[in-house]
Amino acid sequence: MLRAIGKRDRDIFDEVWPEKRKIVLKLLRQETVSQLEWQELFFGVHFVCLWDEKGAAKIYEGLQQDIVEFIVQAQSKVQAQRGEQALLATYIVEWRKFFTQSNYLPLPFRQLEQSPQVKPASSSSSTSSSAIGGGGASTSNAAALISSQVPSSSSSAKPSTSSAATGGASTSAGGASNSAGGSSSKKSPTEDSPVRKLMLDSWNKHIFHDIKDRLQESAMKIVHAERNGDAYDAQLVVGVRESYVNLSSNAEDKLEIYREYFEKAYLKATADFYRLKSAEQQQENGVLAYMKYADAKLREEEVRAKRYLEPSSFNILTCRLVKVLIVDHLNSIIAECPALIRDYETERLNLMFRLLDRVIDGEGVEAMMGDLQRHIKSAGLADMQSASEIITQDSEKYVERLLELFNRFSDLVRNAFNDDPRFLTARDIAFKMVVNDTSVFKMELPTSIANRGVKYTAPESKCPELLANYCDMLLRRTPLSKRLTSEQIDARLRDVLLVLKYVNNKDVFMRYHKVHLTRRLILGTSADSEKEEDIVEWLREVGMPADYVNRLARMFQDIKVSEDLNTQFRNSISRHDAINIKILNAGAWARCSERVSVSLPIELEDYIPDVEEFYKKKHSGRKLQWYHHMSNGTITFVNNFGRYDLDVTTFQMAVLFAWNQRQHDKISYENLRLATELPDPELRRTLWSLVAFPKIKKQILLMEPIAISSPKDFAENTMFYINQEFAIVKNGKSQRRGKLNLIGRLQLSTERSQQEDNQSIVQLRILRTQEAIIKIMKVRKRMNNAALQAELIDILKNMFLPSKKMIKEQLEWLIEHKYMRRDDDDINMFIYVA
Amino acid sequence: MKVTIKSWTGVASWRWIANDENCGICRMSFESTCPECALPGDDCPLVWGVCSHCFHMHCIVKWLNLQPLNKQCPMCRQSWKFNIH
Repeated sequence: MLRAIGKRDRDIFDEVWPEKRKIVLKLLRQETVSQLEWQELFFGVHFVCLWDEKGAAKIYEGLQQDIVEFIVQAQSKVQAQRGEQALLATYIVEWRKFFTQSNYLPLPFRQLEQSPQVKPASSSSSTSSSAIGGGGASTSNAAALISSQVPSSSSSAKPSTSSAATGGASTSAGGASNSAGGSSSKKSPTEDSPVRKLMLDSWNKHIFHDIKDRLQESAMKIVHAERNGDAYDAQLVVGVRESYVNLSSNAEDKLEIYREYFEKAYLKATADFYRLKSAEQQQENGVLAYMKYADAKLREEEVRAKRYLEPSSFNILTCRLVKVLIVDHLNSIIAECPALIRDYETERLNLMFRLLDRVIDGEGVEAMMGDLQRHIKSAGLADMQSASEIITQDSEKYVERLLELFNRFSDLVRNAFNDDPRFLTARDIAFKMVVNDTSVFKMELPTSIANRGVKYTAPESKCPELLANYCDMLLRRTPLSKRLTSEQIDARLRDVLLVLKYVNNKDVFMRYHKVHLTRRLILGTSADSEKEEDIVEWLREVGMPADYVNRLARMFQDIKVSEDLNTQFRNSISRHDAINIKILNAGAWARCSERVSVSLPIELEDYIPDVEEFYKKKHSGRKLQWYHHMSNGTITFVNNFGRYDLDVTTFQMAVLFAWNQRQHDKISYENLRLATELPDPELRRTLWSLVAFPKIKKQILLMEPIAISSPKDFAENTMFYINQEFAIVKNGKSQRRGKLNLIGRLQLSTERSQQEDNQSIVQLRILRTQEAIIKIMKVRKRMNNAALQAELIDILKNMFLPSKKMIKEQLEWLIEHKYMRRDDDDINMFIYVA
Repeated sequence: MKVTIKSWTGVASWRWIANDENCGICRMSFESTCPECALPGDDCPLVWGVCSHCFHMHCIVKWLNLQPLNKQCPMCRQSWKFNIH
């Protein structure tokens, strides 16, 4: 070693390098290198760098020559392959070897990194001389050298080599880290080594550039073969991609080469392949099978992309595939949708949905939504119409049918469309149409209550009325409510609320529900008082107007207060054990019609002053107003056959008491009217309930002549008499004792006001509309027509859907009455007038 | 044949016995509520003064609170005293 000190620089390099060079060549060829040799190499490099001031540059140059030589050999090996597979395979093998070595070979040459002569730093390039100026310069030297040294390489190699040489200059100046962008994620210490860079750059220039088109082509052919199900070697394609990525010379965008060549070619090959295939598939197997095909291929290609492409390409590829496989076939796919919905082909629909949902602008999904909506509407209406005879009469059947329909379509939306919010909305819109449809049954509402000659009516769905009836059946003691468990009733009540959500005219439901509740509370026929109060809370939860719900709550309160009152009343006067009173807050209950006069049985006439007196003492400043059409009681009816307890209305009571003094007489209609003082329609109805009460074998009253088929046919001289044979019949046998309810449906309003019922709905709507308009305008002060209407509908939607006509009329009315005015310049602008 | 009453449930509603239709303060009907309330009846009661004038309780209380010195009936200007029956 010491003798080296005296020698000249060149000698040291010349002396040491030839030995070391052998080791380098061994490494490149992947031959066995002993531990000693490996260490020798480290030492040799270090020694040269230390004693020869230009040693680093010399080693670099020497190394370059060797590498290039090695590459040229590899190139000739690769080029020699004729077959595509073989070409690829050889290339990959060579590339792998080389790439592996690019991780090891630089290690002994770490010393070079320290040297400014080979360090490709930008600062060094400006001043230094050509030989040692920078990696770039020496690279181009080497390239020139190579091209002259290897005249045997193909003619095409020449221009590409020289172009690579100029490219190489910029590469080296660009930064040392460009070769770090390999597919391997782990960062090896050699990654930014100039030697490694040198290796990769050289590879790029001498092999890759020449054959990359062939490589690419071959790789695509393999992918194509794979798509066709032929045998293939995936590693070949992966290898090609890796070399594309690792060889990139642009430090800013390592995937540039990859993207420009490989990705582009891959996308094109894929699109071309499926453009052909998809048309073929669809024609051969039909659209339904094609959807399966497209779905499978999309997944398959996604998996394939993971293998062959860089992650950045996944989305681009998917987009391209969606375009070729779905968008280009959109119309024929969508054309199948209605039939699939009709046949409840949930699996296929789900497939279709998944396919079309990939299309970015959502056009396909929208079309499916439209189909779903149309189908639910038409199927729902057809279903309702086919069963119209039953369901218009039987609210239980109607609601059950409706719910069945809902569940069916909700299932469809869940199974086929994964409860996608867009489809849920489409379903809801369609449900709304079915529920609010007026073609099966409807109620006529007058559109205007002004006293005009012609009355226009606007039909509305009868659904809310039937829902309320169904509610009543569940909450009252009925065969239905007895049959069901408490949980079942709860579930059904929830169902009713679900349907109610879709009803536009909820105010109709409220009205009927209240009427039913009134009956149940007055007659005490609730099946479960807890449930009664539960549903009030549920109604509050689903957004029923607070004042409506509060009124319902008040009704319960009245009944409780009345119970206390009764206890006190009975304690105060001993003889009135049989008397119950229910004192109602007039504002909270269903609007009662005006008083109906009736001549009460004498016993009752005695009680009434006592009750009034008692109440006056409890609450000064109040007076009672009796609602005898709602009062009721139990009477004991005794005849020759037996003794019966009958639940009757007070009107029925009054009629029956007419016979108390003359049990066997026949009494004419006229005389009954005189005796009871009931108004004509009430008397007719009451008598009819006694001579023709439905579902009982023996009526309590008989009439002459017998052939009267409706209460309207009672004449002044129609005679009525007690049926002495009256008995309660059970299982075909007449009973001597028993209880019978003759009340049926408690009449809450008189005949006349029932006709007014619908009118009062409209009247209430008008007031609500006015109220809401004022409420809005009070806050907004100034508002244009469209915004006002939108907000108005939002406020009122939990009660009813105001018609355009009504809104307009009420706006006019409010303007006329100076609650608001139009803007002078803009007739669509309203201004609140305080 | 004989009919006897075993039990009877009488239904009635109650009204205020007032000497006027409307509340003299808010001009609303006694059958409805003062402007502040939503539900007529127990929640918005009527009160009588010794002078026999009658108002919504909410109305007269509000009125009396606005009179710093002489608490007078707004109708007859007699000093206001609640008539407790």
